[in-house]
Amino acid sequence: MLQGKNAIITGARRGIGKAVVEVFAKNGANIWACAKNFDDDFEAEMVKLAEKYKVQIWPVYFDLLDENQIKAGVSEIKKQNNQIDVLVNVAGIADESTSFVMSPLEKMKKVFDINFWGGTLLTQYVARLMMRNQTGNIIHISSVAGIDGILGQYEYVASKAAVNGAGVRQLARELWQYGIRVNGVAPGIVETRMGGQISDSLKRETLQHVIMQREGKPEEIANVVAFLASDLSSYMTGQIIRVDGGM
Amino acid sequence: MTNYEKYLNVFVESFSVSADDAVNLEYQGIPEWDSVGHMGLVAAVEDTFDIMLDTDDIIDFSSFVKGKEILSKNYNIEF
Repeated sequence: MLQGKNAIITGARRGIGKAVVEVFAKNGANIWACAKNFDDDFEAEMVKLAEKYKVQIWPVYFDLLDENQIKAGVSEIKKQNNQIDVLVNVAGIADESTSFVMSPLEKMKKVFDINFWGGTLLTQYVARLMMRNQTGNIIHISSVAGIDGILGQYEYVASKAAVNGAGVRQLARELWQYGIRVNGVAPGIVETRMGGQISDSLKRETLQHVIMQREGKPEEIANVVAFLASDLSSYMTGQIIRVDGGM
Repeated sequence: MTNYEKYLNVFVESFSVSADDAVNLEYQGIPEWDSVGHMGLVAAVEDTFDIMLDTDDIIDFSSFVKGKEILSKNYNIEF
């Protein structure tokens, strides 16, 4: 489905990002697997995946809170002179749930900085490279929280709503003149470290409203991302697909 | 080819103008140097000098002369 495509995937170390790397590799894509810090285990895991699926995987390291690191990361990718077909912005954080009136501004800003501004800056650099080829595909991992809200996560909801509104809908309008499609995937509760941060009581309560009565698996999110990255979704842009088991 | 010649060549090729005209060019001074042409120019400059311009520098890149100044000051390219 993605044979011969080259994709940048952030948040590749764990959770949904890791699943996206695996599903993309399985479908024949070459990957720049982006993570915050270098480590041997991650490198070894990427080599193993590349060998298993006979694709190229290049680990790239940068911190989404650091403008210079983001730029250096994209420069490293650019130097390879391979066309960038897909960017998947997965990296993001959620802090522990707190009441809105008990949430310090600095804590809220950090979540917003990573989830929205970090991804925005990366997208800006990568879109400039995609524009040269008059083609590209950008996929943001958002959240149903950005659409419906979720108790105790004011800043997370704000950041994901910004991703939906500006990152997906606005950019889709702006970038199509360069042949770039932009879409989003909004997962519900997923079996990841971030999903584990939701309190058990809130999780139980939320799952009661999920038709399928269970959490999603990272690969179930990754499969939809692969569809959006493929030519099977060639007439789609500016869309946010909920992958939430029916909430 | 010197860096100046490379830089001049980017303008000549990007906007199909003569070298004499290129040195006096300003953003939106000719139909070809519109916002779309600007991004094409940026891409050509980046590829020629193997750099990535900061967004602020792309905005400030408002003429042939200004661009040269930016490359020299912020990217250590000697002319």
